[in-house]
Amino acid sequence: MKLALGTAAFLLMAHPAGANSYEEHDYILNCSGCHRADGSGSKVVPPLQAMPELSGKPGAREYWVQVPGAAQAPLSNARLAALMNWLVQRFAGKRPKPAYSAQEVGRLRTNPLRDPIGRRNEIRRTSSH
Amino acid sequence: MSRLDRWFEGMTRQSARRVSRRNWLSRFGGVLVGGAALPLLPVARAAEKHTVGEDGVKGREGDPTRCEYWRHCAIDGFLCSCCGGSHTACPPGTQMSPVTWIGTCRNPAEGKDYIISYNDCCGKTFCGRCMCNRNEGERPLYHWYRNNDINWCGGAKAQTYSCSTAVVVKAAKEAQPEK
Repeated sequence: MKLALGTAAFLLMAHPAGANSYEEHDYILNCSGCHRADGSGSKVVPPLQAMPELSGKPGAREYWVQVPGAAQAPLSNARLAALMNWLVQRFAGKRPKPAYSAQEVGRLRTNPLRDPIGRRNEIRRTSSH
Repeated sequence: MSRLDRWFEGMTRQSARRVSRRNWLSRFGGVLVGGAALPLLPVARAAEKHTVGEDGVKGREGDPTRCEYWRHCAIDGFLCSCCGGSHTACPPGTQMSPVTWIGTCRNPAEGKDYIISYNDCCGKTFCGRCMCNRNEGERPLYHWYRNNDINWCGGAKAQTYSCSTAVVVKAAKEAQPEK
């Protein structure tokens, strides 16, 4: 009996799991190639686990959408806003307040960063409010 | 659980009382032979003829050494399955690049889309066998993280490109391009 149940469970788990949400699907396709599935990045790509360092600091919320990978992703404003809400919750530990809206994201991505790494260091040096 | 156990026990004891061993053996043998003979029936054979495998070739299994294999729909490079590795593993002596380009492909056997990660294998000179360049859903170079013309070995220890794999990450929510 146990063996039969175990086999059934194994067969269920052996089937490739589906992306649970459009946010996860969009993360895998648009972010995880460079930031990796777990967000750990590589020697040339910053880890998403470093997001709490900027969390709460002035400019961080805007910066996260303005980084080239997010701003230039081939996603609609609404899909990018949903993805960012999901991503900030996952890697910075809390949902952005207020949540990103399509309008806000649309405004931010038309205003690209000239020096993303420089801007990041600038935000990190400021104290949070 | 114990109710199920009790039910099975009851059934087993009952059949042990009522059915002789020879009867059981003859029936079991019939099922075995009948099951094996089923695919020989003309109906089953006709159905088999129309089975189209994963890469459009006849038969159930696709062939990962062919460019037409369904997972290769957005690949650009040498197939690792022709280079001493497989479509999910690098050949000996090479390292799989941690950064990669990711796309979606439809598995024609079930009509579902899957997210495929085209991790490059790096560290030995290029393989040169089974060149495959299909690029479905690939983005132009200015969307570099959705482009397969760049050398994704940039994230590996050695940047020499050898061949490409096609690993299923998950079932996709939708096919590329996004709506």
